[in-house]
Amino acid sequence: MSSKVLVALRIKAAPLRVFEVFTADIGAWWRPNDLFSFTPRSPGVLAFEGAGEARGEGVRLVERLPSGKVFEIGPVRVWTPGERLVFGWRQATFAPGMDTEVEVRFEAVGDETRVTVEHRGWDTVPIEHVARHHFPDGVFLHRHGAWWRDLLESLRQSMISPSP
Amino acid sequence: MARASLTSALCYRDPKAALKWLEAAFDFELVMLIEDADGNLAHSEMKFGDSLVMIGTEWTDQHRSPASIDGLNTQTVHIKVEGDVDAHCQRARAAGAEILMEPADQFYGDRTYRCRDLEGHFWTVGAAVKAVSREEAEAASGLKIQGWM
Repeated sequence: MSSKVLVALRIKAAPLRVFEVFTADIGAWWRPNDLFSFTPRSPGVLAFEGAGEARGEGVRLVERLPSGKVFEIGPVRVWTPGERLVFGWRQATFAPGMDTEVEVRFEAVGDETRVTVEHRGWDTVPIEHVARHHFPDGVFLHRHGAWWRDLLESLRQSMISPSP
Repeated sequence: MARASLTSALCYRDPKAALKWLEAAFDFELVMLIEDADGNLAHSEMKFGDSLVMIGTEWTDQHRSPASIDGLNTQTVHIKVEGDVDAHCQRARAAGAEILMEPADQFYGDRTYRCRDLEGHFWTVGAAVKAVSREEAEAASGLKIQGWM
């Protein structure tokens, strides 16, 4: 897995709090993007299922679709509250062997948390695959990075002005 | 983060080394990095204050690091800092910056220094240390100044 998109920003809150909002409230701050739909029936609502029950064991990131079906985006591979989160990421169109992975790091910097998302493994998805929309590799990765940047900004905003 | 209307994009032979250096020297913070399937840097952005710089490769035949053209520069980037310019200079020096001009007060009210980075890019760094009127600046410099802010 060498192909990589990394984005980072700071949020004025403690790492553990940011981790909690990232995981428990992902359905609220997540912003779907038509270019990167998980399924043809998306968007739904994202959730880390099983979180908080077995300290990461068996937790998976899913999208609960409007139809009532649940699509598994990927299993959680590392669940270290306040520090690190790693989960698989696949779209419904991925063939076996196509697999990407997201690592999120939460680091204290003064009274802020630096949140870093590293999404790697897009080299396992061929450039001609439908998920890549015929974009050249660099353009695709750049668009994906821009989306992650928007997502982290949405996370940040949700922590500045929590929903009522 | 809202994007400023102007953003500089700098070319390096080894942009990944530049990312580390710029963090150590200037406290820039990496906010975006894209690597291709071979692990080569395709795009990156670093943040400082309310601005970004893009750190890239020599991505066409017309894009060159100063390290590839005998140290020549065709533009420089100015860093405006809040606070202690001398401390900023010490940090840059410790990271390996070549200080071309030590911190000094300027007629326009800033204290500035100038340095060269690991591949020869020139950077100027300054902080406002004194409020100076246009008349005072003209008197001190002998220059006719328009557009004073």
